[in-house]
Amino acid sequence: MEIETIYKRVERNVDQAAVKLIRSKITQIRFSNNSIDISNEWNEELASVFLAKNGRTFIFELKNEKDLEKIVPVSISAIDKLEKNDDFVSLNDKKNTYRKKRMRDEKLREIGGHEFVNSFIDEVKPFVKRVGGVFYKKEIEDSILTPFNSGTQKQFGVEFVSRAFDENDYPVQLSIATSTDEELPELLKQGEEVLDLAKKIRNVKEGVEGKYNVIFSPLCFASLVSYTIPMASAFQIDSGMSMFTNRMGERIGKSSFTVYDDPSDDSMFNSGAFDDEGSPTKKTPVIEKGVVKNFLHNFSTAKKYEVETTGNAGIVSPSPWQLSVEPGNEEVEDMISSMRKGLFINNTWYTRFQDYREGVLSTIPRDGIFLIENGEIKESWGGIRISDSLLNMYKNIEGLSRETKKVKWWDETMHTKSPFVEVGDVNISRSK
Amino acid sequence: MEEFVERALDYASKKATYAEARYCSSQRNVVLMKNGTISATGYSVDSGLAIRLLNRSIAFSSVNVPDWGVIREEIDKAAKASEMIGRNKFSSEVPVKDSWKVDQKKKIEDFSFEDRVQKMRELDDLLAGEKISMRILSLNDNIEEEYNTSSEGMSLRSRLPKISFFAMIGFMENGSFEQGTVEVGYSGGYEALDVWKLEQRLKHESDVLKNAARAKKLSDGKYDLVAGPEISGIVAHESCGHPTELDRILGREMAQAGESFIKKNNRGMRVGSDIVNLVDDPTLDHSFGFYRYDRDGVRAKKRYLYKNGLINDFLSNRESAGRMEEKSNGASRSSEWDKEPLVRMSTTYIEPKDHNFEELIESVKEGIYMKSFTEWNIDDIRFNEKYVGREAYHIQNGVIKETIRRPVIETTTINFYSSIDAIGKDLEFSAGTCGKGDPMQGVDVWMGGPHIRLRDLNVR
Repeated sequence: MEIETIYKRVERNVDQAAVKLIRSKITQIRFSNNSIDISNEWNEELASVFLAKNGRTFIFELKNEKDLEKIVPVSISAIDKLEKNDDFVSLNDKKNTYRKKRMRDEKLREIGGHEFVNSFIDEVKPFVKRVGGVFYKKEIEDSILTPFNSGTQKQFGVEFVSRAFDENDYPVQLSIATSTDEELPELLKQGEEVLDLAKKIRNVKEGVEGKYNVIFSPLCFASLVSYTIPMASAFQIDSGMSMFTNRMGERIGKSSFTVYDDPSDDSMFNSGAFDDEGSPTKKTPVIEKGVVKNFLHNFSTAKKYEVETTGNAGIVSPSPWQLSVEPGNEEVEDMISSMRKGLFINNTWYTRFQDYREGVLSTIPRDGIFLIENGEIKESWGGIRISDSLLNMYKNIEGLSRETKKVKWWDETMHTKSPFVEVGDVNISRSK
Repeated sequence: MEEFVERALDYASKKATYAEARYCSSQRNVVLMKNGTISATGYSVDSGLAIRLLNRSIAFSSVNVPDWGVIREEIDKAAKASEMIGRNKFSSEVPVKDSWKVDQKKKIEDFSFEDRVQKMRELDDLLAGEKISMRILSLNDNIEEEYNTSSEGMSLRSRLPKISFFAMIGFMENGSFEQGTVEVGYSGGYEALDVWKLEQRLKHESDVLKNAARAKKLSDGKYDLVAGPEISGIVAHESCGHPTELDRILGREMAQAGESFIKKNNRGMRVGSDIVNLVDDPTLDHSFGFYRYDRDGVRAKKRYLYKNGLINDFLSNRESAGRMEEKSNGASRSSEWDKEPLVRMSTTYIEPKDHNFEELIESVKEGIYMKSFTEWNIDDIRFNEKYVGREAYHIQNGVIKETIRRPVIETTTINFYSSIDAIGKDLEFSAGTCGKGDPMQGVDVWMGGPHIRLRDLNVR
């Protein structure tokens, strides 16, 4: 598909049009119990088209240019008969320039997925009962064309997730996601790292309810912020279904806690120079020193809030690019060795909210829940649940490590750079 | 792209011991409304060609570039990938030639965007009138057409229209907040709107949130539980449907949604009281997860997953059944044309029995009646689960009393099903989107059951 062809087909019928064309080539290898299950390949194009006319808006998507002849008449006919969309003001009507992304991925591109996976399995399987995971190599080119702006940018990245089970079927899991050759050594060390984590497993037991200090791994803390920061979208704020609603400027965390939406970090996969309506992107502190600092905006929501766009369109709903939690100055080893009694939690999943306004949730730790006593791992737990609120946990942050990791796991964790984070008095519950 | 199916199959068949070529097109419409504003109205056509090959392992490739050179290149890449050593057993099945469709009384094609917006406006006005200040509503429809072929001779054509509606609403009073959802789905046309009675549902849900926001928590302790169909449904889905998915049992999802407390040789193991039967049935008319043949071309059928409290059957596709040297029971689904088919649920429910509602309640001395849930989750072996009540009442001496706020049940699968001592004769379903796979595939499902009674559960 050609972006100009699509744009020309619609522009004369409307006041404003924005076309986004994504070309993706993705390779994925899934493996479980020490063997490859499937190799997946995607070679696809997707065009997303936004139309605005007389205050009314309409969106259509297609994956095949031939469908344009079917879609355009329906869309043009529909837009005239719709109600006005009071949320929409305009696409970004300034002529913008964009930074050039810094792609340093030549060596990453050379990695053969099957060779990588087979070599990983061979390295790990002698020392654990079984291992599984997923390898991704993603290459995406996206272009936009609006009445005011145009641009093309590329993304390339490798993601690898591994989950190893010891002889008692106790699992540990790691994730790495990178777009830079500089982190190739880290990627190649995944076998070693997952084995190091597996070596920490001891005295597997059912967990005990109570309040604990918890050291969250970067993977686990990234999951929590991945559920938090999308709620800073102005769309979510407006809907009222957000813990950020009515909290601009309010302290919701310790002063050591800062989270950015950071599309400027090109060593991470989801960096970007412009958003879906042609606004330049920027690094935006959402929570700065524990205080709600910014919501995430597109051009229209920014007008409504009387601020500048943060470059997070989604023309309908602004959304974060990729997250970065400001590191602290502690060494992970010191955080563990100074813990009198508490937990190290490596991963979590199935996070659900009973109250979006207060961030009340529960989530299920997995893949390495270690009881620490007097600075040493004493037991490995299962069967527990964090039943608490994000507001409580962020206010109880006690320490952040200097070390950070870049992670991405499945639908649970966005592309995020996070340190290890210690939180006090986390409420742990379990089935009775 | 459909014109490439035979050519792609012919080419792929020469490069694999088994090959599939499948063209699929989904036409979707959506209207999204936020607090009274139409935020988005949209139309999409998602179509393309999917190829699946079997050699020394499985390879799946999706391409929507209508160029034979590109398609051939993708098949070549898939053929090469499938030569990597891995798993490669599919169950042996008789290939089917057939075509099927679901009829619509009120056709999606005849339902205009004005009709859609007008309906949404009516519903939003109703909620606003009920002082529900937080409202996100979406109305979606989809017509999926598929042409699925294989090197064994499968040739299946299908046309499946679906409608769904989702509302997320919130009520705030004096700083007390409650949130709720209404989710319905239907295979067929816009006659769904006559079936759903959305006005009634939304009015009821508004009352539920208001009452809950003003209600108090019950003190922690042991209570009998009468659970409504929405609770029966989520429990059936989470702690029967998921753990009996054979691919999970075999570890195929180990690095994502996890595995199962059930092992492959656990058929016959007791997981509940002997009145408990759990079913998954893709063939229920108008169900949201309806299909006549699965993505592997296997005929859909009703399956008893738990029977008389014992594990009875697993949900399987050709890949997982092949590993067990069994026949598939037709649970292969994918959310879109460009995702690999996996073992998925359709409509999962607790089978009704013999009690009417009054009989379930009358013998409860101290209990709760939980009709619907808000927060819920379950661990990655589908054993430790939590359900927080949204609409819930205190029961004392056989009488339903005051509304109670967010009662929490944290229990295990076996404890839940073993605590059931009576099952109602009613049956209701609710719709949901079931997530699984990598990349994530959300598939349409129904889940449901009758009212059920459980004895002596810990509630907090």
